[in-house]
Amino acid sequence: MIDFSVYNATAPTIQGYKCQNCGSIHYPAPMICSKCSKRRDPVTGKGWETFDLEGPCELLTWTRAWNLPEGYSRKYLLFGIVQFENGLRASGQLEVENPESGMKLVAEVEESDERPGDPVSIFVFREK
Amino acid sequence: MAANVGIVGIGHTIFGNSSEYDLSDVLAYAATDALQDAGYLEKRKEIDQLVVGNMASGLFCHQSAVASSVISRMDMEPVPAELVENGPASGASAVKIGYMAVASGLADVVLVVAGEVMRKVTGWLATDYVATMLHTEAEYNMGLTLPAFGGMFTRMYMEKYGLTERDLALLAVKNHDNGAKNKYAHIQLPCTIEAIADGPEADVVNTYVAEPLRMYSTCPVSDGAAALLLVNMDSPRAQEFKKKPVRIAGVASATDTHCVHNRKDPLKLEAVRIAAEKAYKMAGLSPKDISFAELHDAFSILELAISEEVGFFERGKSFLAVRNGETEINGRLPINTSGGLKSKGHPVGGTGVSQVVELVRQLRGEAEEGRQVKEPKYGMSVNFGGFGNNIVSVICARD
Repeated sequence: MIDFSVYNATAPTIQGYKCQNCGSIHYPAPMICSKCSKRRDPVTGKGWETFDLEGPCELLTWTRAWNLPEGYSRKYLLFGIVQFENGLRASGQLEVENPESGMKLVAEVEESDERPGDPVSIFVFREK
Repeated sequence: MAANVGIVGIGHTIFGNSSEYDLSDVLAYAATDALQDAGYLEKRKEIDQLVVGNMASGLFCHQSAVASSVISRMDMEPVPAELVENGPASGASAVKIGYMAVASGLADVVLVVAGEVMRKVTGWLATDYVATMLHTEAEYNMGLTLPAFGGMFTRMYMEKYGLTERDLALLAVKNHDNGAKNKYAHIQLPCTIEAIADGPEADVVNTYVAEPLRMYSTCPVSDGAAALLLVNMDSPRAQEFKKKPVRIAGVASATDTHCVHNRKDPLKLEAVRIAAEKAYKMAGLSPKDISFAELHDAFSILELAISEEVGFFERGKSFLAVRNGETEINGRLPINTSGGLKSKGHPVGGTGVSQVVELVRQLRGEAEEGRQVKEPKYGMSVNFGGFGNNIVSVICARD
C-alpha cells in the first residue's frame, strides 16, 4: 500500500526573524522590533525575513528534570539554554551524555507530540 | 495627594491539601477571617470593593467568575468584585490593585483575598498547568517547566559564584525551622542538615527534582488562601476597625522578557530590582531600613537571587550571609520568617497576599513564639510572577 501522506511531509522548522528596516534578528517572533520599533504583521510578514534557526551553538546552562508534566512517559528529560553563532539564544531539550556548560552543540528541530494538543516543533541540542 | 492606605484585618487558611473544598469556599474562609480580625463582619456590605487574586481556577478547578462566587458565599451583594490574574504574583497584584483603589479615592474600604486550589488534579497535571505561564512556542512546547528553569538558573549561579548544594540545604533548614512554628504552614516540620545534605541517606531523602535543585530546594504544591482588609487611613471610616492599621508604605511592580533566554544576563532579575527600587522610593526607604522580608523562594535559589537584587546583599554573596546565620529569625535581617514558600507552601495565586499577611503579623507582634522578629519597623515582600518576568514588591510599616 502506498502511504500518500509522505508526499506532503515537510521537515519541521523553527524560524528566526530579521527586521529589514534595521537588520536586527529575533527569536521567538516579535510583534515590534526591539531595536527600531518596526511593526511585524504576522499575516503578511511584510518588511521581515524569516530564516531557519538551527545549527552550531554553545550550551549556556542545563538541567536534568525528573518531575515531568502530564504527557511525558520518560523518567527524566535534559533541558538547556544555548547561544547560536548569530547571537540569538534558545531553550530546548538536550540529548548529551555528559553535559557541561560551554560545550559546543548543534541545534536540530524535531516534531514532538508529548504536550497536549497538536504536534509542535522543538529544539533538540546534540553533540557535533 | 494619594490617601494613606492601611491594613486593618488579616485572614489565612492553613496551607496544605484543601482539594475536598470548593475554591470559592477556601477564598471566602480567609476573607471572613480578615473581616473578623478587623471587627467588620457585620458591616461587610459596606465594603466598597472586593479584589480577588487567582492564577488558574479555570485549569485547576474548572471554575470561572470566582470573584462573583466569593461575594455570594459571603452574603456580600451588591459589593463590586473583580478578579486579578498575574501568574504566581496574582496575590501581590491584587494587593496593588486594592491599594490603587483606596489611594485614588475610588474606595475607602477594600477586601483583598487571593488563593489557589491546585491539588484537585495530579502532580503531573499541576506541573503542566503551572508551565502554561511560560512562552508557548519557545518554552512550554519544548517540555520546559518552572522547576527546569529553577534548575538551570541554579547551575548558572553555582558556576559563577561558587554556591553549593549544601548552601541550598541550609536555606531549607532555616525556612523549615520557621515554618514549623507557623500555624498556617503547609509543612510544619523542621529538618536537619544531616538528613538532607550531610548524612549517608541524604541522597535518598533529598532527591533531585531538576538538577542541581533537590526536593528540599523546591516548594510543595499547596492549596490555600489569604486575605487583607484595606482602609483609607485619612478617612473617618478608619476609626471603625478593631485593630490599628499597618500602613502600606510602598507597592510597585515591574516586568521583564517573557523568554528567560532573551535576557541580556539570564542571571539578573531586572524586574525584581526595578520593582524594589520603586517600592523603596515610594516608601522613602532604602534596603538598610528593612527589618525582615518575605521573598518568593519557590526554588531556594530565588531567595538568594532576590535578596541580592533588592539590595540586601552584594551580588553573589547572599549565601555567605546564610552560612553566617544572618537571615535567621535572630539574625541581622530575617528572611522568610513564615517558612517561605518552601515550608509554608505555595498556592500559586495566593502567595502574594500570604506574604503580606506575614508582614502584618510580624509588625503587629502577633507571630508565634520563636519566630517573632524583635521590634520590626518595616517588612518587605517580593512576589514572583512567571520565571521573574512580572514582579510585585510591597513594603509595610509599623508607625
